Amino acid sequence: MEKYDLIVIGAGPGGYPAAIRAAQLGASVAIVEKEALGGTCLNWGCIPTKTLIASASLYWHMRHAQALGVSVAKASFDYAAMIQHKNQVVEKLGGGVAQLLKANGVTVLDGIASFMTRNRLTIQRSGKESVALEAARIIIASGSSAVLPAFLPKAATVVESRAFLDRTELPARLIVLGGGVIGCELACMAAQLGAQVTIVEILDDILIMLDADLRADARRYMETQLKIRILTGKPLEQIKAEAQGVKGQVAGEGVEAELLLAAVGRCPATEKLALDKAGLKPNAKGYIEVNAVYQTKAAGIYAIGDVNGGPQLAHAATAQGLLAAEHAIKPRANLRAQVVPSCIFTAPEIATVGLSEQDAKQQNRAVKTGKFHFAALGKALASGETTGFVKWITDAGTDQLLGAAAVGAHATELIATAITAIQAELTAAEFARTIQAHPTLSEAWMEAAHAVHGQCIHAPPRRRKSDDR
Amino acid sequence: MPKLGQTVEESTIVKWHKHEGEPVKKGEILFEIETDKAVLEIESFFEGTLLKIVVAEGQTVPVSVPVAFIGQPGDAIPEVKPVARPAPAVDTKSEHVAVPPAFAPGASTVAKAMVDKSVGRPPSGVRRPASDIPPPPPFSVKIVSPRARRLISECVISADPIPGSGPGGRVVEKDVRVYLEAKHYAEFKITPAAKNLARDNGVDILSVPLTASRERITVEMIQQAIAEKPKTMSKMRQVIAQRLTASFTTTPHFYVTVAVDMTDLLEWRKTLQKANKPFSVTDFILKAVALALVKFPALNSSTDGRTTRWHSRVHLGMAVSIADGLVVPVIRNAHDLSIAELHERIAGLAIKARDGKLTPDEMTGSTFTVSNMGMLDVEHFTAIINPGESAILAVASTRPTPVVIDGKIEIRSMMNITLSSDHRLVDGACAARFANCVKSMLEDLELWKSMI
Repeated sequence: MEKYDLIVIGAGPGGYPAAIRAAQLGASVAIVEKEALGGTCLNWGCIPTKTLIASASLYWHMRHAQALGVSVAKASFDYAAMIQHKNQVVEKLGGGVAQLLKANGVTVLDGIASFMTRNRLTIQRSGKESVALEAARIIIASGSSAVLPAFLPKAATVVESRAFLDRTELPARLIVLGGGVIGCELACMAAQLGAQVTIVEILDDILIMLDADLRADARRYMETQLKIRILTGKPLEQIKAEAQGVKGQVAGEGVEAELLLAAVGRCPATEKLALDKAGLKPNAKGYIEVNAVYQTKAAGIYAIGDVNGGPQLAHAATAQGLLAAEHAIKPRANLRAQVVPSCIFTAPEIATVGLSEQDAKQQNRAVKTGKFHFAALGKALASGETTGFVKWITDAGTDQLLGAAAVGAHATELIATAITAIQAELTAAEFARTIQAHPTLSEAWMEAAHAVHGQCIHAPPRRRKSDDR
Repeated sequence: MPKLGQTVEESTIVKWHKHEGEPVKKGEILFEIETDKAVLEIESFFEGTLLKIVVAEGQTVPVSVPVAFIGQPGDAIPEVKPVARPAPAVDTKSEHVAVPPAFAPGASTVAKAMVDKSVGRPPSGVRRPASDIPPPPPFSVKIVSPRARRLISECVISADPIPGSGPGGRVVEKDVRVYLEAKHYAEFKITPAAKNLARDNGVDILSVPLTASRERITVEMIQQAIAEKPKTMSKMRQVIAQRLTASFTTTPHFYVTVAVDMTDLLEWRKTLQKANKPFSVTDFILKAVALALVKFPALNSSTDGRTTRWHSRVHLGMAVSIADGLVVPVIRNAHDLSIAELHERIAGLAIKARDGKLTPDEMTGSTFTVSNMGMLDVEHFTAIINPGESAILAVASTRPTPVVIDGKIEIRSMMNITLSSDHRLVDGACAARFANCVKSMLEDLELWKSMI
């Protein structure tokens, strides 16, 4: 039986960095992948969606450049070509992961891993016989998969996000069930390419985890500019799927489309792991519970990424993977809490990091906020991207930057500054003293930091206290 | 300042619900006070406008002094001197006899609840016994120059350890710089937010232990330093500390444990509950104790070390755990109450205790106390006798236990009860007989059937 210092189950954005880091620290490492290197993020998630969104966004901007004095007479697109471009990007990145693993001396095994004992795995390989492996440490990074709820009819016209990305045709009309991140991103993408999109969300609003002001700006843009029909607070009922399309009712209102995309959440992938053989049991929600260094209750076994019930974000999985790998090979003494950003690639983009106003209210924590709207910023006006704002959330006592949010064009890039500032425990006063280049969108952060203390140069002073939101 | 009970001599205003200039209706909550026993909301007896607050939040004043004026806007406000309580230094000069208060001779009533401390107060008008609160630390007379003070504040360090080179030990700027150098202040890198937090909370940056890798001092590290700072105990905790230390160090405790077979009583209790008579185990225990105390007056008595007093009435204290403390509401004349009456009184007092609504009089005058930890899954424990009482009964959890009955092992629901007794008043044989009396009553189903 082959023996390793560490075996990683799953080569997604959590698993493969963990394997590489452990190898860098001198460990002998194997990684097991059941489908494709890079996992959901690279193959059916972050990367493919962002590729399609880039294409759709470019097309949209070409169609809407008149305000800047540019008109494109016959702008058109070829959705199949977009899909092909996406596939090329995915292939290239997948190849990159394979090279990196090889260069670091990590053994890659294709197959499905399941536990035999706490430190032994069997790998079922298609067309080959199974192998058994032993390791002192095992990191479970098996991820999650999209759920198709049982109440949906089984039909080719009802798909989850992965199947959606493999289709080479864009439907003329699309129903998106679920107004979360994945649903809203793909809804905006399809709408930018001219599809008639309806989002149905049973909760009171789309993107409900965000502060209300962020949601309001994003929703207004999606409804007025992208003409997306957004139905919230009601379920989709009487769903009928046929070969040609899907029909349903939302509180008596009929909805109809060629395709229904279900984006109602993801469930952890644990069923093939035979966790009981390792003495582990998923919790009531199906996740593997872990401590602060991602150790499970079974000695020597770690769980990182979507499978442990933390934030379902690729970069969170990566950070966890690195930490778990370091802990497994060379335990570190002190851990520093890290803030985890979250980016939503809708139109407009939304990005958040750290404490939200909603969180602060729930925790009964006294905070101040400072906000600056792009409509008052030279660079934003110049490029015709005036939707949205940036906002700081600070500690009312110590002035510490606790959270930040941005909604608008390039928000997902703009958040980078805020992540660094919050992780470094800067104060609003300190940030307000930085010089941001003019004319850039980044100036908005500086202005918003001034606004925390009511000293914003490019916004009129607040008149009443009730304006303080 | 209202007098809320026979024994309350002073109270602290913890919160004003109205501010000066605000209209006040009769019956509206005006302010909250903390006595040494509880926090209570005080309603206004008057209608009008709150013209002036005389006693600010956090101040302690004797009862019956004015704390504020209510009248019509424009009314003249009489001159009042804020009443401060006398400094502890005055107490030490008094003719106070250093006897723990509850055991002082000549007291009108010797039996007192745990948190009462009026008994034994000398009639000289001195307000607090010297032993009551520790004297404050000697007043710091450090003189710091303004420039040095500014540097100290900028660096977020404490002035106390800095040696002064100026006249009379005055600390000047140079001293601070020398001190910073000697302490390697430059190595104490700190994040901006952590520095603000340290300044706001009086944390000396130099007191924060650095990590091995000399990383910056973070908000989390300052929060730890804040959590480790000594904090004044709540008034309730101070009273608990003082009373129980006095009892435990001056009363010769001894302990007797017996195991009570609760199986039959618990079984019968189920049928009672079905008949809509939801008596609790506590009800039965307190009733049994009250009955037993009538038979054993020594367990219902007090001593000062030279005299003993037997109480003809049973006032049962029951220890109730509340947030950050413990209160002992008292069931007066428990020996006279039927079990149904007892049940009502216990339930009412327990709810008031948990809500912090007990009045001081409801917490004083017990002659014997029961502490029931049955719901906390303990096998056995001992309790400390409340000052002024001769014993306390500690009730542990009831659990299935193998017991030998007629030479055979059976599983029975057993509950350990432990009597702590004051050996000055009670001897071993007496304590054993009392504990077994309670036990045999709890095991005697016929007795309970005759009462219910």
